[in-house]
Amino acid sequence: MRVTLLIASREYLENVKTKGFWIGVLLVPIVFFIIFHVSSRLATATPTRYYLLIDQSGQYAESVDIAIRREHQRRVMQDFMRYLQENRTDLSGTALSREPATQLDQLIDDFGNDEVATLDEWLSNGGLDFALQMSRAYLRPDAPAFTEPRPQFIAAPLPAELDVSAPAQTIVDTLRPYLNGERRLQVNGEAVSLFALILIPGQVDADIVRPATLQRVIVDGGGPRGVQYWASNLTDTRLPNAIQTSINNAIRQQEYTSRGIDITQVRDVQRTRLPLSRLDPGKAAGSEEVSLADTFRQWAPMGFVYLIFISLMQSVQYLLSNTIEEKSNRIIEVLLASVTPGELMMGKLLGIGATGITTILAWIVSFFAFLQLYQTVETVMMVQVLDVLLSSDLIPRFVFYYLCCYALYAGIFLAIGSLCNTLKEAQSLMMPLMMVLVIPILTMSFIAQDPNGTLARVMSWIPLFTPFTMMNRAAAQPPMFDVVGTTLLLVFTTIAVLWLSGRVFRQGILRTGQPPRIIELWRMMRRRSSRS
Amino acid sequence: MSDPVLSLTNVSKRYGDFTAVNAINLSIPRGSVYGFLGPNGAGKTTTIRMILDIIRPDEGEIQVLGASSAMHVRERIGYLPEEKGLYKKMKVWAIIAYFATLKGMHRREAKTRAYELLEKYGLKDFANSSVESLSKGMGQKVQVLSSIAHNPELVILDEPFSGLDPVNQEVLEQLIRDLKENGQTVIFSTHIMQHAERLCERLLLITQGRKVFDGTVDEARAIIPRRVILECTNDISTLAQIEGVLSVQELPIGNDGRLHGTRQWELYVKEQTDPQQILQYCFQNRINLSRFDFTQASLHDVFMHLVGPEAREHNFR
Repeated sequence: MRVTLLIASREYLENVKTKGFWIGVLLVPIVFFIIFHVSSRLATATPTRYYLLIDQSGQYAESVDIAIRREHQRRVMQDFMRYLQENRTDLSGTALSREPATQLDQLIDDFGNDEVATLDEWLSNGGLDFALQMSRAYLRPDAPAFTEPRPQFIAAPLPAELDVSAPAQTIVDTLRPYLNGERRLQVNGEAVSLFALILIPGQVDADIVRPATLQRVIVDGGGPRGVQYWASNLTDTRLPNAIQTSINNAIRQQEYTSRGIDITQVRDVQRTRLPLSRLDPGKAAGSEEVSLADTFRQWAPMGFVYLIFISLMQSVQYLLSNTIEEKSNRIIEVLLASVTPGELMMGKLLGIGATGITTILAWIVSFFAFLQLYQTVETVMMVQVLDVLLSSDLIPRFVFYYLCCYALYAGIFLAIGSLCNTLKEAQSLMMPLMMVLVIPILTMSFIAQDPNGTLARVMSWIPLFTPFTMMNRAAAQPPMFDVVGTTLLLVFTTIAVLWLSGRVFRQGILRTGQPPRIIELWRMMRRRSSRS
Repeated sequence: MSDPVLSLTNVSKRYGDFTAVNAINLSIPRGSVYGFLGPNGAGKTTTIRMILDIIRPDEGEIQVLGASSAMHVRERIGYLPEEKGLYKKMKVWAIIAYFATLKGMHRREAKTRAYELLEKYGLKDFANSSVESLSKGMGQKVQVLSSIAHNPELVILDEPFSGLDPVNQEVLEQLIRDLKENGQTVIFSTHIMQHAERLCERLLLITQGRKVFDGTVDEARAIIPRRVILECTNDISTLAQIEGVLSVQELPIGNDGRLHGTRQWELYVKEQTDPQQILQYCFQNRINLSRFDFTQASLHDVFMHLVGPEAREHNFR
């Protein structure tokens, strides 16, 4: 035991003392921080985009204009909400564990279903100016002034050579070089590129699709129909979506009018709803309502599965490279004159296990430091999520599955390391195992969605997947039979794997030359080793 | 004689059809410096690995320091393997101390001992360097030191001299003498006879896995007849009549610095033969000697005599 600990501490210190280790460890939180920081700022960094609107029908230009102004106001509203949350005096706000999940759902629901109405309300209330005035009382005294985001879509003046009344095809041909980026538009003496052309042909009304006209559409076919949206950027769909929504709204309004229906009544009807309460039968009577915290708890296991996976990948590297270094340097022979192969293997297992735990602890510490130093709405929310996690049984489960997973895979990888003289040889032996390891990551989200489904249950009973899958299912209260059964199977398999790996390790560690073939490996496992 | 430090009884090791070590018997007395000699591939390293219980013999029994396995007495054994290697990133003092602690030494004690050894054997300035900054020879010295840091009763050095320059070979010889003076038993394998000749009291000579000689250096020398070189103008083949002379043979003319017009003769005589007898015979028969060379056989000669033909055959097969 003394020797095992000595080996473990040497392995541990050798890894932990290197600069590379700490760079690798700190890279994760740094990248996390950068992504977090950049993504929350990225929205405002999108460049202003110029479009041309040509409405030959003369009916929809205003609708499109409103749509684009709305799109801008939507961003203003969002930014303002964020600003308000960041600078409210009562920042701690409501605790997540008490805030019902439905409330958040409802908000999202509101916005998706009736965005236009919400925006209308915001605009009719006086928009930003009014909101600023109203909120002043609730803001912290040191709150910075709110900066309105730049408009993202601006209508560009028409180029001189363009004849607006020409046939659609001619207009498109004239503007094609601008749309392709070959020519640039002059806006306020500045050359800018044209992002999109919105062309509404004169006879656009003929293309309106009504349930009854469906057949005609199919028969007709050929050529662009309705409003034409020309842009070489295919990924930014905000502008076409906004236009489509607003034109459809305009058309529907016409339809209501032509059929003699009161629009305000329709709106009212559209905004009528019956709330849905989500209840969890597993919770105590009186508090069955599913809270936001419950939702987080449901998804949190995926984070833990990732953590197990990443930490395992790191440990595997160390296990292999250290074993192979000892083999290729022939240090192994001196070691084996002082320690048994079993002690050596256990020492390595412990030392590198400690390295992995150090990594996770370093991540946790830097995460907390990040939460302390960088307080925004998101981090305040994260602190609350963390409170939820700490109060659940996810943490002890994570510790258990992490340790089992590490011991199980480390045993296999140490055996592989003992058989190889170079990392290159090891890589070809590792390949199948790596493919196995990817499976729990690929199926992770399916299992999270259906934590007690067939896939989840089957995978839980495969010991190589058990730690990942059972961790993934941890929040869904899997049946007791699964929990106890898979745990027993996992523990038993881990012990068996360590024992078999020990046999291979003992024989492999002094081997030179090519790694063994499967048959030889089988013999190594069956043969009693020359030493104990 | 006290109990032997190490005894091998009928020890054999086979790898498939190949017999690496074939029924070796050996007993090494406490406090001796013992040489394992043999050509490449003779089975020296395999024997040593079996002694250390790194590999198990297929047959036979090994007793080390009174135990049936070296593992049971590992704290009392020091080992330098044939293929040398150290952790590249570790500091020189730390690696010596690490191996000493593995052998049961206390951490602090091991550190003191590491510095002490480094100073004694001229590596003090490198104590805080990392192993990878050392030259090959220095690295080897560090490894030798790490194998003896815990003051083992039995030190086994596999090819300790290979790769060292003459100065460091001298340092290592001194180190082995120091160990002996300290009462420690040293076994080392080599194929350089001079080291064995200077250091060893007893030798084991193996070739192709078999023991061909085991005994003192003098006994080894006695194996091959003593050689006498005579230079004269006469035919002296009649010398063969003298009792104790085994053979008389004229040597072909070669670049051996002989006087012009003389003939050179090689005589093999029995161990106890008095060289005066030959001189007397020459005097009586008016043989005018211009050279009389009576040399003791060197270990090299013994080695070549015992394993030469086989080793050559083995190597070129």
